[in-house]
Amino acid sequence: MVLVLAIGDLHIPHRAPDLPAKFKSMLVPGKIQHIICTGNLCIKEVHDYLKSLCPSLHITRGEYDEDSRYPETKTITIGQFKIGLCHGHQVVPWGDLDSLAMLQRQLDVDILVTGHTHQFKAYKHEAGVVINPGSATGAYSSITYDVNPSFVLMDIDGLRVVVYVYELIDGEVKVDKIDFKKTPTTTI
Amino acid sequence: MLPEGSLSTESSPERGDLGGNRGFWELRGVQWRTDLGVLPCSSSADDVRRVTANTRRRYAALRRRLLIDPLIHKDGSNFPDPVMDNPLSQDPDSMWGRFFQKAELEKMVDQDLSRLYPEHGSYFQTPGCQGMLRRILLLWCISHPNYGYRQGMHELLAPLLYVLQADVERLSAVRKLYEHYFTDNFDGLTFHDSDELETQDDQVKFHNLEELDPKIQTIISFSDAYGAEGELGIVLSEKFMEHDAYCMFDALMNGSGGAVSMASFFSPSNGPQNGLPPVIEASSALYQLLAVVDSSLYTHFVELGVEPQYFALRWLRVLFGREFALEDLLVIWDEIFSFDNSKLNSENDHETNFEALNSSRGAFIASLAVSMILYIRSSILATETATSCLQRLLNFPKDVNLGKLLKKANSLVNDAINAMRSAPSPMYSDGFHEPVKPVTSMGFRTHSLSSDAAAPRSPLSVVRDSYWEEKWRVLHKEEEQKQTNPQKQSQSQRKGWSEKVKSRLLRTESDPSSSKAYGEKTGPSRRRVRRNLLDDLARQLGLEEEEETETEKAVGGNGGSEENSSIFSDPPSPIGGVNDNDNDNDNENHSEHSSVASNLLVDENDRDPEPELEPEPKPSNVADSANAIQEVYDNGPGPVSDRPEDATTPLKGVENEESAGKSGLNLKDRIILSGKQWFWKFGKNNGDCSLEKGGDSTNSSLVGRDQKSDVASSATDVTSKGESVNQNTICSLKNLGQSMVENLQVIESVFQQEKGETGHVDNLSKKALVDRGQITAMAALKELRKISNILSEM
Repeated sequence: MVLVLAIGDLHIPHRAPDLPAKFKSMLVPGKIQHIICTGNLCIKEVHDYLKSLCPSLHITRGEYDEDSRYPETKTITIGQFKIGLCHGHQVVPWGDLDSLAMLQRQLDVDILVTGHTHQFKAYKHEAGVVINPGSATGAYSSITYDVNPSFVLMDIDGLRVVVYVYELIDGEVKVDKIDFKKTPTTTI
Repeated sequence: MLPEGSLSTESSPERGDLGGNRGFWELRGVQWRTDLGVLPCSSSADDVRRVTANTRRRYAALRRRLLIDPLIHKDGSNFPDPVMDNPLSQDPDSMWGRFFQKAELEKMVDQDLSRLYPEHGSYFQTPGCQGMLRRILLLWCISHPNYGYRQGMHELLAPLLYVLQADVERLSAVRKLYEHYFTDNFDGLTFHDSDELETQDDQVKFHNLEELDPKIQTIISFSDAYGAEGELGIVLSEKFMEHDAYCMFDALMNGSGGAVSMASFFSPSNGPQNGLPPVIEASSALYQLLAVVDSSLYTHFVELGVEPQYFALRWLRVLFGREFALEDLLVIWDEIFSFDNSKLNSENDHETNFEALNSSRGAFIASLAVSMILYIRSSILATETATSCLQRLLNFPKDVNLGKLLKKANSLVNDAINAMRSAPSPMYSDGFHEPVKPVTSMGFRTHSLSSDAAAPRSPLSVVRDSYWEEKWRVLHKEEEQKQTNPQKQSQSQRKGWSEKVKSRLLRTESDPSSSKAYGEKTGPSRRRVRRNLLDDLARQLGLEEEEETETEKAVGGNGGSEENSSIFSDPPSPIGGVNDNDNDNDNENHSEHSSVASNLLVDENDRDPEPELEPEPKPSNVADSANAIQEVYDNGPGPVSDRPEDATTPLKGVENEESAGKSGLNLKDRIILSGKQWFWKFGKNNGDCSLEKGGDSTNSSLVGRDQKSDVASSATDVTSKGESVNQNTICSLKNLGQSMVENLQVIESVFQQEKGETGHVDNLSKKALVDRGQITAMAALKELRKISNILSEM
């Protein structure tokens, strides 16, 4: 029962002033065990805020991030799952599933979390799961129209992960749930 | 054959063989379960087994329901709406919300459990036991969300589990000894792997259970796997220890429909009746009993300012679990549980004021606490500060003579029940049926056991009392230093003090020292008097501000004397102040002395600083006051100051009487004597002050004395009615008004007598004084009337 928050593309302060209030009220410290952040925060204050929600914060570098010390990609193991993290502007064409799958195979992870498109996506294919948490602030994107603020919460429990998607549509928080099960890997 | 007797543990407190061995020859687990109401008291084994089985089933169902992983049925078809039931949902009812709450609870419980009974760690710190304890506590807290988990609950649960474990071990011991009774071996033909010897033995012995010791019989019948409800009905069962422990814990916390429910001790919310948290209520009940049983110790506590809940909280919440070693605690709990927990019916219509302990079990708990306090009595009395006193209390000696302790506690149970039952109801109306008999009995320190226990607010009044005492002492020291100087400071102090007095107009009479001091006077009467005094005091203090005139105020004397006495009853700082106003050093001295004497604490009550005072209060008071009055009078009464504003407020009206205060002061001085003497003087003051008006103290005193004393007593009677609870302010004021009216009447009557007598006064000045006195008397009378009108309107 590990709760992992996947969030990114906030673009604070350049394109958005802050998280939506409803999201902020939901994100209280103490509930979440890990935060994985795709990037483009952009400033340190946002980093500190996320850190206050949960001390275990993993973040990769987006093209607008002001802290250049973030890595380009990151791999984390939580429970039985290997999670890969990358901002996604490195993978061209942006948002293309096959290219992302290539990255996933490269990183050898079960779940790949990327961003940059500011649009929520969750694909399942034979190798694993690709999740795009979208933009938590609904910041402007040159490649997506009508960006809705969204983020993702993953509940990892053994070999099963439940993905909750929180989207702010017309001022209301909508929650959706997706179940993924991992087939037990056979070790050679 | 399930005689309760065989399991009886209500035997004498002396338990010889308790010692560290685990071989309890009485089945505590079963006994406690019966006492707590988990098992029925019926004599049929089947009934017991059935009830056992049912309780276990309930627990199992509860466990299944509440501890199930919320995720598991997510795969089911009935998906909870994700919007409501996501992990970040703020909704506390959502599965996730409950999950997080449970996680919090678990954290707290684990923290406590890790520190549970480290000296018995071999049992309590094993993972199996810890797991059981955790589950039980979590389930209980989840099913009782309004209590949550509080520290200490685990300490209540641990001994319960312990005795169940002990029972099981006993069972296995018996099993070993009487193995052949447990086997299904009936004809000596067993499987080949049994001993040759065994079969021989089997053939020799009877398999008839009746032959065995009844205790063993019960043990065996309890563990018979073929009885009612089969395995689930085995009363002494290891498999179902968790279930049984949960049921016992639940019964203990709920009180099983009785009065004492441990859960209420954990809740901070106010009880329904008194507006006090139950644990505070219970602590005050404890103090009440202590006051009844050992008042010197009680006053010692009050002096130090030790409130009962400082130590009683811990005692009550874990039922003395922290004060005794585990083995001793088991004995004590045996005794506690043996008392019935059903609510005691109170004789009058009102319920008692101590709902939290309103059963014989509660009474025993209170008496046990008191007997513990008495056990370390000498060391407590030796303490000088509250901290050291609490230290002694909270570090109860480890090796105590349990037998003595329990015997003493048993002897106090009846007292406890009476103390709680006889607590006066807070309704004002009840006060009226209490006849006041203060003036007659001379018993100094008698307070009948059935005298009203402290009102529910006794803890508060205890605080107030010590506050007043301190205040008094502080002020008294000041006065001693500046004897002859008129003091504005003390005045201001007094003023500030009068504020406080006004704000605490309704002192409850639960003041123990007063109870001690006022001996025979019954509680409510005491209370009323005190309250009236407070009123008077307030007015008096208001008066002091305009204190120039003295003697005429004597006219208003009655009221003034009342107030004066009230000043006495409370820390007599005002007395000092008033004294300062006086020009009469004599009076000041008197009042100082009296203020010294007025220390209401027990020790000083006996002091009689006044040399003139004779042991007999009545005559001396009158004489003295008469003399005092004369002195005062001779000193030259100031102009009568009619205070028109007096009519408006009682406060100001008092000012009128302020000068009378002077004479009253002298009177007051005497009044300060302990016990009823105090009340006597009170009455006397009334009388004397009125005498004053006549100007011819001796004559009038003689004449009016009787009347005055009557009036005084009636005044006190009247004032005695009343109530210490807030709601009765109005009533008390009404009483005040009444008493004032009566006083007025007396004054008038005396006055008229005076007129007749003083017609032939030789001394011209005296006559002048008399005339003036008369004028002032009339004026004061008028004002008194106004005041009483106002009061009665209120």
